[in-house]
Amino acid sequence: MNIDIKHIAKLARLRIEDDQLEKFESEMQGIVNMVEKLPDIDDELVLDASNPMKLRKDEVADKKFTRQELMQNAPKVKAGCLVVPKTVE
Amino acid sequence: MLKNKEISSTELTKSVFDRIKAVEGKVDAYLTLNEENAMAQAADIDSKLDAGEELSPLAGIPVGIKDNITTKGLRTTCASRMLENYVPPFNATAMEKVLDSGAVITGKLNMDEFAMGSSTENSYYKPTKNPFDTDRIPGGSSGGSAAAVAAGEAVVTLGSDTGGSIRQPASYCGVVGLKPTYGAVSRYGLVAFASSLDQIGPLGKCVKDVAMVQSLIVGHDKLDATSAYREYPNYESQLKTDLKGLKIGLPKEYFGEGIDPFVKQSVLNAVKEMEKQGAVVKEISLPSTDYALSSYYIISSAEASSNLARYDGVRYGFRAEQFDGLTDMYERTRSEGFGDEVKRRIMLGTFVLSSGFYDAYYKKAKLLQRRIQSEFAQQFEDIDVIAAPTTPSTAFKIGENTGDPLKMYATDICTVTVNIAGLPAMSIPCAYDNNGLPVGLQLIGNRFTEQTLLNTAYAYENIVGGFKMPEL
Repeated sequence: MNIDIKHIAKLARLRIEDDQLEKFESEMQGIVNMVEKLPDIDDELVLDASNPMKLRKDEVADKKFTRQELMQNAPKVKAGCLVVPKTVE
Repeated sequence: MLKNKEISSTELTKSVFDRIKAVEGKVDAYLTLNEENAMAQAADIDSKLDAGEELSPLAGIPVGIKDNITTKGLRTTCASRMLENYVPPFNATAMEKVLDSGAVITGKLNMDEFAMGSSTENSYYKPTKNPFDTDRIPGGSSGGSAAAVAAGEAVVTLGSDTGGSIRQPASYCGVVGLKPTYGAVSRYGLVAFASSLDQIGPLGKCVKDVAMVQSLIVGHDKLDATSAYREYPNYESQLKTDLKGLKIGLPKEYFGEGIDPFVKQSVLNAVKEMEKQGAVVKEISLPSTDYALSSYYIISSAEASSNLARYDGVRYGFRAEQFDGLTDMYERTRSEGFGDEVKRRIMLGTFVLSSGFYDAYYKKAKLLQRRIQSEFAQQFEDIDVIAAPTTPSTAFKIGENTGDPLKMYATDICTVTVNIAGLPAMSIPCAYDNNGLPVGLQLIGNRFTEQTLLNTAYAYENIVGGFKMPEL
């Protein structure tokens, strides 16, 4: 099974430098070879009825954070907003 | 938990910090220390005790926290460059419970980056050393948590376990570690690695301490949709040393070629001791064990690749300094912010979930997971607990396995199946090899049978007269 490292890296938003590519490729190939050895299974995937997940209502939670608190870890802030590169051309 | 005026929290906390000052240079268990706050917390607890207040058994006890559990106001890095300066605005639910009990927080403990690793060598900051032999690894990913207990740098610690990350370091460092049943402890605030496998759990020098902390951190949490709706016992108060009639299963697949003969013999000897006390031993088989490692790496990497997609340099954490446009910012941030092992797992996860490969890998691994779960369930109809080695060998040397990811992964072979099956499991020391290195005995139970595990461990601890900590 040949893995297209460059394509996977693009999907994962990772940069693999050219000098790292070969090492990465062989490590990945080794790991894929290990995980490939799975038996054939004919079963169907079904949901686990014994643990029904009770989802929360879509409402405001009772924890209150201030904007200040939540922005304190932001890399770049201006006028109370997160600064990011242009997203729309 | 000697708060009967034998020692004050202030004295105990100070002695722990004195110990940290004395040995941290050799052990490197901590990433962030919390001394000032800890002493203040201790003083607060002492005045409450002096006033005659009834407090939790954990009140005033110095506790260390693995650095992937969020602590409000205290830096939480997951041992990654990605979160080097991240200060959470909230506490993990398990943290809230520990704080409510009045515990004193010593600091944040070193780990493999984002919990991916088996030796704590994948920490962005530094490796942690095994207190039994500082040329050796303490295990991972909760290496700091196990080492701190063994070195006396905390009384108890919290770690997390996704593929063995509490049990394996507990085994290498000769301490007691418990991975609860999936769903027993809330994952809210545990920085996500593999959401269907992760659990927070306690580590300590003795079974009683671990039992006590476990009771404090369990419970349903509406902030974690995967947490179980259940009531839990006071584990410590129900501990007993009677092994009569306990049915122990020995799965032949866990005693195969890859396991060191001394480890094998030590585990079998420990089980023999339990047999002398009335336990009944039976050989069993778990045929799907062969595929457990593969299905673990597929499932955990797939979930990790999804969970780590949030680290994009936008709202928090590391952001690359130079970039040209949004996509470039993402790529550079993630490439500079993550270490090699994390990138490997993200790549593997992305691959198994990608179009054309999903059926062959991820879907198959999930089907296999169900088969593994039902194999265990079937065995637990006739037995109470499974005994096996925790790791195939004793602690290896720093740098010994870093060149070969597959060799590193193979050290997890005895532990990963348990996470896949969602079962509770413990590791306790059962022997020491020629080099004085601890061997871990793993006990695995059916879902929500932590009391049985703790009792079995407690009984064994009683037989051997306690577990020894290393001289540093």
